[in-house]
Amino acid sequence: MIMADKISIVINGKPREIPEGTFLLDAVRKEGITVPTLCHHKDLMPSGTCRLCICEIEVRGKKKLVTACNYPVREPLEVWTDSETVTRHRRILAEMYLGRWPNVRAVREIAGLCGVSESRFKGRYTEEDPQSCILCGHCVRACREFALERILDFAGRGIHRHIAMPFNEVDPHCIGCTSCAYVCPTGAIQIVDDLNQPVDPQMIRDHGMKVNAEMANLDPVQCRMREVGTANIVDVMNQYDLLPVKNYKYGSHPEVWKIDSKMLKAKYFTQNMPDGCWKGCSMACAKTIDDFELRTGPYKGQKVCVDGPEYETAAGGSNMGCFDADFIAEFNFYCDTYGIDTISAATTIAFVMECFENGVIDTGVTGGLELNFGSGDEVLELLHQMARGEGFGVDVGQGIRWLKDKWENEYGADRKFMDDIGMETKGLEVSEYVTKESLAQQCGYGMAIKGPQHDEAWLIFMDMVNNELPTYEHKAEALHYFPLWRTWFGLYGLCKLCWNDVVPADNKMTSEPQKVPDHVNNYFKFVEGMTGIKLDEQKMLDQSARVYNLQRVMSRMLGYGTRRDDYMPYRALGPVTAEEYESRQDRYDKQLREIVGVDPEGRSTSEKIKILRDYREDQYDKTVSVVYRRRGWDDNGVPTVERLKELGIDLPELVAIVEKNRG
Amino acid sequence: MQDLETISREVNRDLRAYKATLMVCTGTGCISAGAFNVRDALNRILKEKSLESDYLVIGTGCNGFCAVGPIVVVQPEGIFYQKVKAKGDVEEIVEKHLQKGSVVERLLYRDPATGQRFQTMADIGFFSKQRPIALRNKGIIDPENIEHYIGRGGYRAIRGILESGSPDEVIESVIKSGIRGRGGGGFPAGIKWRSAREAALQRREIPYVVCNADEGDPGAFMDRSIIEADPHSVIEGMMIGAFSVGANEGFVYVRKEYPLAMARLGKAIRQARERGLLGKNIFETEFSFDIHIHRGAGAFVCGESTALMASMSGKAGEPRAKYVHNVEYGYRDKPTVLNNVETWANIPVIIEKGSDWFASIGTGNVRENPWGGSSGTKVFSLVGAINNTGLVEVPMGVTLREIIYEIGGGIPGGRRFKAVQTGGPSGGCIPVEKLDMPVDFDSLTEAGSMMGSGGMIVMDDRTCMVDVAKYFTGFLMDESCGKCTPCREGLPALYETLDRICNGQGKEGDIEFLEEVSETVSATSLCQLGGTAGNPILSTIRYFRDEYHAHIRDKRCPAGHCKALITYSINHEKCTGCTLCALKCPSGAITGEKKQTHRIDPLKCIKCGICFEVCNFDAVEVK
Ligand SMILES: Cc1cc2nc3c(=O)[nH]c(=O)nc-3n(C[C@H](O)[C@H](O)[C@H](O)COP(=O)(O)O)c2cc1C
Ligand code: SF4
Ligand code: SF4
Ligand code: SF4
Ligand code: FES
Ligand code: FES
Repeated sequence: MIMADKISIVINGKPREIPEGTFLLDAVRKEGITVPTLCHHKDLMPSGTCRLCICEIEVRGKKKLVTACNYPVREPLEVWTDSETVTRHRRILAEMYLGRWPNVRAVREIAGLCGVSESRFKGRYTEEDPQSCILCGHCVRACREFALERILDFAGRGIHRHIAMPFNEVDPHCIGCTSCAYVCPTGAIQIVDDLNQPVDPQMIRDHGMKVNAEMANLDPVQCRMREVGTANIVDVMNQYDLLPVKNYKYGSHPEVWKIDSKMLKAKYFTQNMPDGCWKGCSMACAKTIDDFELRTGPYKGQKVCVDGPEYETAAGGSNMGCFDADFIAEFNFYCDTYGIDTISAATTIAFVMECFENGVIDTGVTGGLELNFGSGDEVLELLHQMARGEGFGVDVGQGIRWLKDKWENEYGADRKFMDDIGMETKGLEVSEYVTKESLAQQCGYGMAIKGPQHDEAWLIFMDMVNNELPTYEHKAEALHYFPLWRTWFGLYGLCKLCWNDVVPADNKMTSEPQKVPDHVNNYFKFVEGMTGIKLDEQKMLDQSARVYNLQRVMSRMLGYGTRRDDYMPYRALGPVTAEEYESRQDRYDKQLREIVGVDPEGRSTSEKIKILRDYREDQYDKTVSVVYRRRGWDDNGVPTVERLKELGIDLPELVAIVEKNRG
Repeated sequence: MQDLETISREVNRDLRAYKATLMVCTGTGCISAGAFNVRDALNRILKEKSLESDYLVIGTGCNGFCAVGPIVVVQPEGIFYQKVKAKGDVEEIVEKHLQKGSVVERLLYRDPATGQRFQTMADIGFFSKQRPIALRNKGIIDPENIEHYIGRGGYRAIRGILESGSPDEVIESVIKSGIRGRGGGGFPAGIKWRSAREAALQRREIPYVVCNADEGDPGAFMDRSIIEADPHSVIEGMMIGAFSVGANEGFVYVRKEYPLAMARLGKAIRQARERGLLGKNIFETEFSFDIHIHRGAGAFVCGESTALMASMSGKAGEPRAKYVHNVEYGYRDKPTVLNNVETWANIPVIIEKGSDWFASIGTGNVRENPWGGSSGTKVFSLVGAINNTGLVEVPMGVTLREIIYEIGGGIPGGRRFKAVQTGGPSGGCIPVEKLDMPVDFDSLTEAGSMMGSGGMIVMDDRTCMVDVAKYFTGFLMDESCGKCTPCREGLPALYETLDRICNGQGKEGDIEFLEEVSETVSATSLCQLGGTAGNPILSTIRYFRDEYHAHIRDKRCPAGHCKALITYSINHEKCTGCTLCALKCPSGAITGEKKQTHRIDPLKCIKCGICFEVCNFDAVEVK
């Protein structure tokens, strides 16, 4: 987040400094000053319509009245919140409210605050109902800003203004999120039915609305998930040298602007409505390109709708060296259409490309395709071949592990090189993040039960940007906690994205910000509100550990799940080639000097690569051992019988498998 | 693209080849009075007489004098024929004037006061005192023919700029000209442009230019006339603006009730495109620009800048706070310059003739500071109790008296002038004491009214000022969008109070309530609809407080207008017993024998005032 400039203002005589762009009301309230408001709601965009919050300001020598709630402070000013003019007008406004809605509690309170008890505005428009709608517009904005819907809006002009759904009918598109009722200050909107009969709907709502409010207010400044979806990370990863470029050789590239979120937003994403996994998701991170004209393949020339691209797909493009958003969109479309995973496809092809460029294979093997990095047309052709089951596509479709075996056996390819750069573990291709500088994430990938994807642990920022995991023990704790926590979402079928993509504004102040405790608690409350079962961290971890250990045992049963299977190709740990080392020479030399304790001066690159590699592999090894211990597994990575007992899953079948594979 | 001078030479040569041209006014007013029939009849007769190659009939835009339409002006002498009918009159013009060379006296304009007839426009007071700049081509060119505009020097200003001007220079000279927005706010156009250009450069966004042709003020038709009479002047103005701020797309938001203006503008845009004056690489330069027409959604408030942009984006036409200006975040959140039709139409002339020339017209000194006065001219629509109703363009700073008496020809029926309401529905009423006040932005505001878009409604002594306040408050109440509290809740309360007063149920404290609430509505409303809505009430109380008192305390309407407060009676001295009033009275309230004095039964009288109107002996009196 960019820090805003400070502006000097004077509030009722007191000089203050506030960040540029702060709404005047927020600045004034921070001083403990009461300003009456009716249309303002802390979690919604200000609308400036009730006019009660008027304050007098002097800016550039001119005095004027402004509504504090939506006045952004952009230059020095002096403000009076209770000048004679202000209070005089406020009283009339309060009188108007009291005349129209004499019995609404919120109105009476405001009138009281403004010192008004009688109204000259009583008349034919007076509404006596204490639950009358007072046109504050909270519901309209909540529907828009929380639910990203437009079910409710104002209708009618002037005094006939009222809240309505289209055609004054109950709109079947209303998703029943209850946001509108939640923010209504008068009870004019009532919830008539709680369809799923939750034990405590209010508990669910109280926490759900918090999520909604954070999405509305914090996402635009934190992640922009609503605006550009997960593609926002392309820019961030590039900035931190973590975006895979050319089979994970590098972490950034000067041409990334051609595929970053700014480009996608400006030229590609067209659907001007929220799109999520389900209607009503207030994060709604899915994005779409409409009317995209395909250049290749069976649908060539047709205009199609591309669902995406998401971060991993765009990053797959950069991993193949293709900095071309047209290509990425087409690749995305055909992978989806063919039912091919964009990550496995991109990572495999990136591997093929590096092998091709290094002469491991040639056009004789590829069936004539010049598979250099960046050759988008060839990639698309290869993809079509994969889908048709023809030519070189048949081989590539088997994935990296299979290719390595075949090329070694048939062409005598250099196995060691292929093992170093073939980004797979347990036969699954690595997802699109560079992990070289984060030991914790290397293990997060390598030790993930079903293969190297970040679904179990994504620790890069925690580890290397925020330096929150300085020791083996810290790393081991994280690699114990997070996989269990992330597995827990699977247990309940809940989306993880609203756990830590957007975080509460004060998250940093908490004792364990990396866990986002407030959001973990949200999930516990959702479960409790729905089922009545109270959860806490330990209970959650126990629930998850049972499943996690069961998964590990089953993995063992399928021939994986031992220490041997938890290693990563060296490309994931550090620089394999000289060009790779030299491209980040300063960084690696510095590490040799400061961390490994070896003077890089006068040493050849290959020598330095070797020293760094020995060091890093050793680190990795040590971390794995500590993590196994923390997880209650033996040194071969197999859960101990005691652990199974402790978890109450010491079923004879499981115990048998575990006994057989003891390390 | 063909060179402008060549087009110009050719079109003027072609026009000069005719012995005379007949300029038939085909503005909306004259069309509804039958101008198309007149035009067609002229063409038919000329054809019958095989005179088509000698005389050319041209349909022009509004001359501003719609009350005397249909108008035919025979050029080059400039003989001005009024109220021309397709049957008879047209033959006479052809036979007598064109063929025999003598003017048709009976079709000339006749001064209602003196009865004197005038031959040419220049002789008629209504026209002679005017100074057409925005309307420089009205009545002179065929608005549907781009060559006519070019023939009058059109598109030279933009070409000159594209050949050898920089955006900053253009903006500088627009600032120096002092031109302030003609749409109501009076904001200096050049300063607006500069802010938009700066915002666009800073944010690296491509801005938009928009023309406000929503013209929602009742009775106003300045903007419609400009578009109908000279659409290319608006297009050229927008091109200059676009070049200055760096826009390549422009929009004209036209009120949907203006089909003719929309059609003419559409045609003009198409012609400009065909000639390469709109589109890519205009005059073989980097500059590309095109204009689209956006049909208005039909609410008064949609003329307000932020509501207009909401409406253009397909949202409800409601204003938003202007703490962040359109020049920064306007249409589609891009920096946007919005100017009124008349503002745009002035721009090419300013560029052609220079900012000093423009600044020398009008009041104050604007060369240093555009707020320092009001430069240029303003088009007003002059309506109400006035002899020459119509559209007039005068230099800023002329007095109300000159407009009303010299151009407008005074009040009909020799009645007394009472007030003039300026500035559209939320303007104010200016009383007789201020007749010698100069008409410019600041003087009008000072007097409790405003320039607005240039409406002027003249009122004579039979107009009740409380009723006037009620009428405009009612209009604004109906047009209030309802978004903000003071306007939504305040205007109905004000209206009801005024209505009560007019109905004879006024009470002490009403005036104070009106003042207090009007002030709050004006001070606290979100947009300038509410922000100026207090004017009609506050200005009438300011200048006509006695009239309010008469209604409230004495239950009397001095103007004899408010039905509940007046009685009709028959003056026995004057009544001749002609029975006319008794015959016309719709409620049978008048009785009396022939040749005997008549009387009105106050219980039956519904106060329609028909008797008052029909009596030839002024025997019916109102009290
Ligand atoms: C209620 C309301 C109605 C308005 N209607 C119009 C209109 O019909 N035409 C117009 O040009 N400006 C209208 N305006 C003024 C515009 O908001 C804006 O100031 C103007 O178009 C800017 O152009 P200018 O600076 O050239 O005058 C209206 C303003 C308000 C508050
Ligand atoms: S329940 Fe949700 S979707 Fe339905 S109207 Fe209310 S806020 Fe909108
Ligand atoms: S229904 Fe409730 S929330 Fe919506 S505008 Fe009315 S009072 Fe406000
Ligand atoms: S002042 Fe009137 S028209 Fe303007 S926003 Fe408020 S309610 Fe709407
Ligand atoms: S709180 Fe309603 S206008 Fe600011
Ligand atoms: S339309 Fe002919 S004078 Fe106005």
